[in-house]
Parts: sequence; C-alpha cells; structure tokens
Amino acid sequence: MTVTVTLVSVLFVAAGLTALGAFVAAWKRELTAALTGLPVMFAGAGVAFVGVARFGATSGAPLLGQEVAVLLAITALAAIGLGIGLAGRETSR
Amino acid sequence: MDSLHAIGFYVSAALAGVGGILLAFLHGHWHRGLALGAFGLGVAGIYMSLSAGFAAIVVLVCYIGCALLVARPDYRTVEQAARGLWRQIGAVGAALLVVALAYAAFRGRFTHATFYGGPFNSVSVARLLFAHDALATEAVAGVVLIALVGAAVAWRRERPRDEREGRR
Repeated sequence: MTVTVTLVSVLFVAAGLTALGAFVAAWKRELTAALTGLPVMFAGAGVAFVGVARFGATSGAPLLGQEVAVLLAITALAAIGLGIGLAGRETSR
Repeated sequence: MDSLHAIGFYVSAALAGVGGILLAFLHGHWHRGLALGAFGLGVAGIYMSLSAGFAAIVVLVCYIGCALLVARPDYRTVEQAARGLWRQIGAVGAALLVVALAYAAFRGRFTHATFYGGPFNSVSVARLLFAHDALATEAVAGVVLIALVGAAVAWRRERPRDEREGRR
C-alpha cells in the first residue's frame, strides 16, 4: 500500500487550519486568547502556499510559496507580540 | 513523494490539528502556550515533508516565540465585549469557511508539476527574499519593527499612583 500526498490533500489541510484559526478567533471570550487564532490562520495560508510551490509551480520562481510562508510566520510573531503588548496596556495593573 | 514523507505529512497535520483544537478549548495561558508550541511543531513537520526545510525552521522559531509570549507569567487578560450569539455566529462562519475552502480544493483543476528543488532550499529562498523580492522582505521587516516598538511602548509598566506621589 502506497501513501501519497497530493495538492488536494495539502489544500484540505490548509483549509482546515484556516477555519480552525477563524474558529479560535471567534470562539474565545478573552481577547488575548482570541488573538492566538491569528497565527493558526496564517499557518493555514502558509501551508497552501508551500503546497502549491511543491506540487503546482510550473513557471517563474518555483519557491515563491516557501518565501511567502516564511514572511507569514514572521508577521504572525509580530502580530502576537503587538497584540499582547496592547492587551497589557488596556488592563489595570 | 515516497510513503515515509507522506506519513510524516499526515502525522504532522494531525499534530497541528490537535494543537489547534487544544488551543481553542484549553483554559489557562500556560496550556494555550503549550498547545501553540505543539501546533508550530506540526506545521514545521508539514513544511519539512513538503521539501521546505528552511521555512520549517523559521516557522518553528516563530511559533515557539508566539508560544512563549502567550505563556509568559505576566500575561494579562482582556474580556471581549461580544456576546455569546456573535461568538456562535463566528463559529458557524468558521464551519462554513472550511466547507467552502474544501469544496474549492476538491473541485479545482490543478496542474501537476515536477519539483526540482532540494529538501532544504535555504539558498534559493534567501535569494528570493533578499534579491528578487527584497521590497516585500523590507515591508515585512518594517511591520515587525513597528510591532516591536509598539509592543515595547505598550508594555511599559506604569507606576502605581501611590508610588508616583511618593507614598509607599
């Protein structure tokens, strides 16, 4: 039995991660906890980009998807840092 | 892609999914930090099995950083103003989103190309980041700089009123 991965299965995983991030952002009552849905959504988008770069890139820069995934991860870290910093500002000390 | 890579992909996807679900339902910022770390490990495994080793390392470092920020001891909470109905509408919207995206992925017609890159691709990705798409990299660096400065300013601890007025 051979186990394979196709672009469709990668996109299924990406769709699940993106929707999971949206669910976390919508479901959590606490604002700083809801913020953690953002890197999950970014990861879903990154998985889709990497999957297209791996299976579907025919012309141009074939590793463009990996580059976008790197930039998305760095942006997610920046968003979490800024969000948690601003949340700390809003509360009483 | 051989079976070992495929199994690694599905195991990593399961780890990322479990980490995301735990992130949604666990209470306590320490537990959520652990779940976010497990999620990052799963996403890095997905990238690694898709021949994106450099992106996997960057993602692992960034998501461990996110997990440490969430799990830090002086974490503060902010209650959301949204009522329960809006949260439930958001959850239903997330379910509709996964259905729509999965349908688009299932019905789409995609070309299949042979991948000629290596398992790590650090040189090629760095060439893209710093030569071909340097403007995008600088834009993201600007976003990161603004976020770090904003976080540092926002996190600056205010002294209590008694301390400011000289009373102890």
